[in-house]
Amino acid sequence: MNNRILEVEDLSVEFSTYGGDVKAVRGVSFAVTRGETMAIVGESGCGKSVTVQAIMGIIPMPPGRITSGSAKLDGNELLGLSPKEANEFRGIQIGMIFQDPMTSLNPTMTIGDQIAETLVVHRHKTYAEASRQAIDLLEKTHIPEAAKRVTQYPFEFSGGMLQRAMIAQSLACNPSILIADEPTTALDVTIQGQILELMDELQRTENMSIILITHDLAVVARMADEVAVMYAGQIVESGSVEDIFYESSHPYTLGLKSAMPSNIGDRDKKLTPIIGSPPDLFSPPHGCGYFARCPYAMRMCEDMQPTNFSVQRTEDHHARCWLQHEAAPAVAEVSQSNQDKDNAG
Amino acid sequence: MTDITSFQPSDEDFARVKTDLAVEQISRPSLSYWQDAWVRLKKNTRATISLYIVIGLAVFTLLGPVFWQVDSSLQDLNQISQAPSLPKTAALVGAYKRWDGIILEDFPAEPEAYAKSVAAVTELRAFEAATTQQVRITWNPTPGAGGYNIYRNHRAPEDFNDLGLPLGSTFGGNEVSYEDRLSLESRAYYYSIVPTDGYDEYEVYTVTAITPQMIITVNDARGRNLITADEENNLGQEIRLEFHPFGTDYLGRDMLARLMEGARVSLFIGIVAPFIYVIFGIIYGGFAGYFGGRLDVLLMRFADFVVALPFLLFMILFKIAFGIGPGESGIFPMLVTLALLLWPATARLVRGQVLQIREQGYIEAARLLGAKPSYLILRHIIPNTMGVILVTLTFAVPAAIFTEAFLSFIGMGVAPPTPSWGSMCNEGIKTMLSHPHELIFPATFISVTVLAFNLLGDGLTEALDSRMRSRE
Amino acid sequence: MLAYTLKRLLAGGITVWFIATATFVAMHQVPGDPLMNDKAVTPEIRKNLEQKYGLDKSATEQYFIFLGNMLRGDFGISFTQQNRRVNDIIRDHFPVSATLGLLAIFFAATGGVLWGALTAIYRNRLPDIIIMFLVILGISVPSFVFAALGQLLLVNINSMLGQSLIPVAGWGTFAHMLMPSLVLGLGTMAFLTRLMRSSMLEVVNEEYIKTARAKGLSPVRIFFRHQLRNAILPVITVLGPQVAAITTGGFVVELVFAIPGLGRYFVQAVQQLDYTVIMGTTVFYGAFLVFMVILVDIIYGFVDPRVRLE
Repeated sequence: MNNRILEVEDLSVEFSTYGGDVKAVRGVSFAVTRGETMAIVGESGCGKSVTVQAIMGIIPMPPGRITSGSAKLDGNELLGLSPKEANEFRGIQIGMIFQDPMTSLNPTMTIGDQIAETLVVHRHKTYAEASRQAIDLLEKTHIPEAAKRVTQYPFEFSGGMLQRAMIAQSLACNPSILIADEPTTALDVTIQGQILELMDELQRTENMSIILITHDLAVVARMADEVAVMYAGQIVESGSVEDIFYESSHPYTLGLKSAMPSNIGDRDKKLTPIIGSPPDLFSPPHGCGYFARCPYAMRMCEDMQPTNFSVQRTEDHHARCWLQHEAAPAVAEVSQSNQDKDNAG
Repeated sequence: MTDITSFQPSDEDFARVKTDLAVEQISRPSLSYWQDAWVRLKKNTRATISLYIVIGLAVFTLLGPVFWQVDSSLQDLNQISQAPSLPKTAALVGAYKRWDGIILEDFPAEPEAYAKSVAAVTELRAFEAATTQQVRITWNPTPGAGGYNIYRNHRAPEDFNDLGLPLGSTFGGNEVSYEDRLSLESRAYYYSIVPTDGYDEYEVYTVTAITPQMIITVNDARGRNLITADEENNLGQEIRLEFHPFGTDYLGRDMLARLMEGARVSLFIGIVAPFIYVIFGIIYGGFAGYFGGRLDVLLMRFADFVVALPFLLFMILFKIAFGIGPGESGIFPMLVTLALLLWPATARLVRGQVLQIREQGYIEAARLLGAKPSYLILRHIIPNTMGVILVTLTFAVPAAIFTEAFLSFIGMGVAPPTPSWGSMCNEGIKTMLSHPHELIFPATFISVTVLAFNLLGDGLTEALDSRMRSRE
Repeated sequence: MLAYTLKRLLAGGITVWFIATATFVAMHQVPGDPLMNDKAVTPEIRKNLEQKYGLDKSATEQYFIFLGNMLRGDFGISFTQQNRRVNDIIRDHFPVSATLGLLAIFFAATGGVLWGALTAIYRNRLPDIIIMFLVILGISVPSFVFAALGQLLLVNINSMLGQSLIPVAGWGTFAHMLMPSLVLGLGTMAFLTRLMRSSMLEVVNEEYIKTARAKGLSPVRIFFRHQLRNAILPVITVLGPQVAAITTGGFVVELVFAIPGLGRYFVQAVQQLDYTVIMGTTVFYGAFLVFMVILVDIIYGFVDPRVRLE
C-alpha cells in the first residue's frame, strides 16, 4: 500500500552515559500516512523526541546508538546512512521544527540567510534568488513585512514569529513530511493556537504529512489523524484519534485522559494525576513499564512484557497491555479486545 | 522472559496486585553538597595530585626551614654556581703561599734568532698536587721560543683553534711555569701551552688534563664552623663541606634554602592578596546584588571603572607613593595594589550569583516564612555562592603568584638579599647558558605551583558544578 | 551604536583622567622632591630648575598645569636625560612596543582560535589531550621563562645551522620580531585556546546546531557557518583585557630580548625615578589600554548583532 509514506519498524536507541546505557527507545514501530498528521504523545523523557531525532539522524553518536530497527521513507532506508547520503533527504523530503524557537535559530545569522541557506545548499540557488524566495516563504507563514523581516536577526523576533520563521525554513524545499517536535510547548496559549492553525493550513496547501510530538492531549485532539502513545521508550497504544480518545485501551492512555481538563461532563470532577514516576531506563523493567503505576496491575504484568494486542473494533488500533489478553478480567474503563464482557464480569 | 507465543496465562497470572505507588526507590546514597563535591574531587586524578602538590608546597615552605637550617644569604665564594650534587668533601690546607714560578737559568730567555717554526713543549705537568686553590703547571722549554701562552678548556681541544680560555702568557723562553687561580672547580681541565716568539704564537701546542682536588683553607673552614678552632694540625685531612643538594647560585648561596625562603614570599603574596580581595569582592558584590536597584548600578559602575585601571602602572605608582626606592622591598605595595585593583572580578561574579539566587523560589519561601535578611544571607545566599567563591579563590592564587614573580623579575618585588622565586629567576636568567639550574629550579617551582592551583581550580569547578551532578 | 561608542569613550576619558590624577598624587606623595638627588647643587641652580619644571608653584596650580599639558599631549622633559622630551621618547619607542604587541595578539588570537577549534573537534582524543597539556603548561609557565627558553632555542638553532638565521636579540627586521612576539603571545594563546575549546563544546550542544543538521547541511558548513562564528564571540570579548596583559608582558620580553621598546624604557625610568617619564608613560599607557578595550568592544558589536542594536 503506497499511502504509507514513512514506516518505522522496531526502532531501538541507546545512550551510553557515565552511569551505564540508557535504553531510551525500545522497539518502536509506527507508520505515517501521506497527507495526514500522526501525533506521538507521552510525558517528558518517554523517548518521543529521541525517536524522531533517530529517524532524522541527528542524534549525537556517540553517546547515542541505534541498536536496531529501520525507517523507510517511500521505501528508502533512512537509518545508518552516511552524513552525505542523509543530507539527501534531511531538509528536502523531511523538514523539522523544534520545541524552543528562541534557541533553535542561529543568533548571529539573519532569518533570511538561514532560510536561504537551505535553498542554496539543496537547490543550488544563488543567495540573491534564495533570499527572494525566503521572503515568499515568510509570507506563506503569515509574517507581516516579510521583506523587512528577512534582514533581521532572531533576537528581534518574538517567540511566535520565530516559530513561524522556523516553519518557513523547514518548508523551503517542499518536504513531504514535517516533523514538529513539541512546536508549541515554549509558546503561550494564544500563540499556540495560531501556530497550530498555520500548520493545519500548510498541511492542506502543501499536502504534506506531519509528525507532531507533544505531551498535550488537547493539541493531539485538534491536530492528529493518528496517534501513538509512548511510555518508557515504547509505544503502548496506537490508533486513530477516535480510537485513542473514545476507545482507550491502555491504562496509561486512560491516566493521561483523566489528567487532562475537559469542558464536557462533570465540572466538579477533579483532575486525577498519574501517581509515581516512569521507570529508570538504565535498567528497564522485565515486565510492563507501567506496572508500578497501573491501577489495574496484575501479577503477570510485573515480569511479562505485554504483547502488542490489536484491539477488536478497528484494524489499526493496538495496545501493549495484558488486559487485552482474551483471558484477562474485564475492566469497565478499558475498551477490551477479543473477549466476551459478560463472561468475565 | 518467557516465550510469549507459547505462553498460556493461568487465572493466577491475572490476579490483581496492589502496587505500592508511594515508595520511590532511592538508589544513590544521599550526600550533602560538599560531601558530594569532595567525592567527585577525589575521583579526579589530576585534581587529587594537585591537592597533594599544594599540601607538599605548604610543608616545604613551613616545615622546610626547620629541617634545612641553612642561611639563605650566606655566600660561599668557593662554591659558586654549583650544580646540584651529593655532599662534597675537601682537603684541609693552610693559607695560600706565594709561588715565584720557575725560571730556568741555563736556558736563554730569548733565542738568538726566531725560527719559522718550533717544536711543541714537552713534559707538560702539574708542578705539585693541583687543588681548587691553585693549579701550578710547568713544562720543558722548547728551543727557539721567546715565551708561552697558556690556555684552559673544559674539554679536550680538537685543534689549535679550540684551546679554550687564554689564561696568560710568560715572556721568556726560560719562564716555564704558570699558576692558575681562576675560579677553579673540582673537575677536569685541559691546559694547553703554545710557544710564542714573544708576540705571535707558533701553531703547535701541548695538552695535559689536570683535575684539581677540592680543598678548603683552615681559616675558611673555621669561619664556616666546619672545624673546631684547635684542629689546625690536621692539614691534608678530608672534611665535609656544606651540602648543597640543589646547588648554589652565582654568589655561592644555597639554592634549597633560597627556594624555601622564596616560597614564603611567593606563597604569602599568592595566598594573602587573593584572600583580601576575594573577601572584599564578596562583601561588595553581595551588597550590590542583594540590595540591587540604583545602589547596584552605582556600585557596579565603579567596579567597571576600577577594572579599567592598568595594574602594573598602579603597582609602580603605589611603590613610589609609599616612598619605596628601587632597591627596597615592594612586597607591601604589591599586596596593596593587588587588593585594591583585583576585587571587581569577584564582586561582579558574586553579584551575579546573588542576583540569581535572590530570585529563586526558596528565598521567596523563606522570606514568606518570616526570615530576616541577615538569616537569608547567612543561611541561603552565602552557602550557595561558596562554590563559585572557592573556585575564584583557587584561580586567584596562581594569578597573584604570577604577578609577584613578574614584578620581582623586573626588579620591583622583593629587595635583595631576600629571595623570591621571581627574583631568583631574574638572577638565574643571566647565567642561563652556563649554569641552567639557577633558572630551572625557581622557574619549575613557579610553574608547578601555578599548575597545581590551576588544575585544582579546574577540578573544583567540575566538582562543584551542579549541572554535572545529574549527569552521573 | 554611535551613542554607545560615545558613552564608552566618555567613560574611558574619565578613567584616563583618574589615572592622570592618581599619577599626579602619587608623584607628590614621594618624600623629598625630584631634584633632590642630582644637579641642584646651589640654591640658584635649584631655583632655576624648579622654575623650569614648575615646581615652585602650589600643588593645585601644578595639577592644573599638568592636566592642561596632558590634554595638549605635552608630557614634559625627562629628568635624567635633560635634553629629551617625553613625547620624543614615546614617539621613538612606542611603535616598537606596539608592533611587538600587535604581532603577539595576532599570534595569540589566530593560534587560540585554531587550537581551540581543533581540540573541540578531537575532544578527548589524542590531539586534544596533547594540545590541552601544552595549554596547561602555557598557562602555568611565566612569560620570562618562555623568553629565556626562546632565546636558548634560538642560540641552539643558530649554532646548529652555523649561522645567525634568526637573531637572538635586538630589533629591526621581521626575523627579530618573530621569537619575541611568539613568546609574548604564548600565555594569551594558551588562555584563548582553553576559552575557545569550552566555547566550541558549548555551541555544539546548542539547539540551532541541531536545526542546521536537520536542514541537511554538511558537517563542514555547519562547522564554519554556525559553530565557529558563535564560538568565537567570547574569545573576542576577552581580547580587550588581554591587550593589557600582553602590554605588561611586553616589559619582560623587551628586557630579555633587548628590544628598544617603551616598556623597557618605562621599567628603566621607574628604576631611576625619572618622574616626568613615569608620569608621561603611565598616562599614555593608561589611555592606550582604555582605548584598546573600547575598540575591542566596538569591534565585538560588529560581530555580534545582539550588541549592535542595543
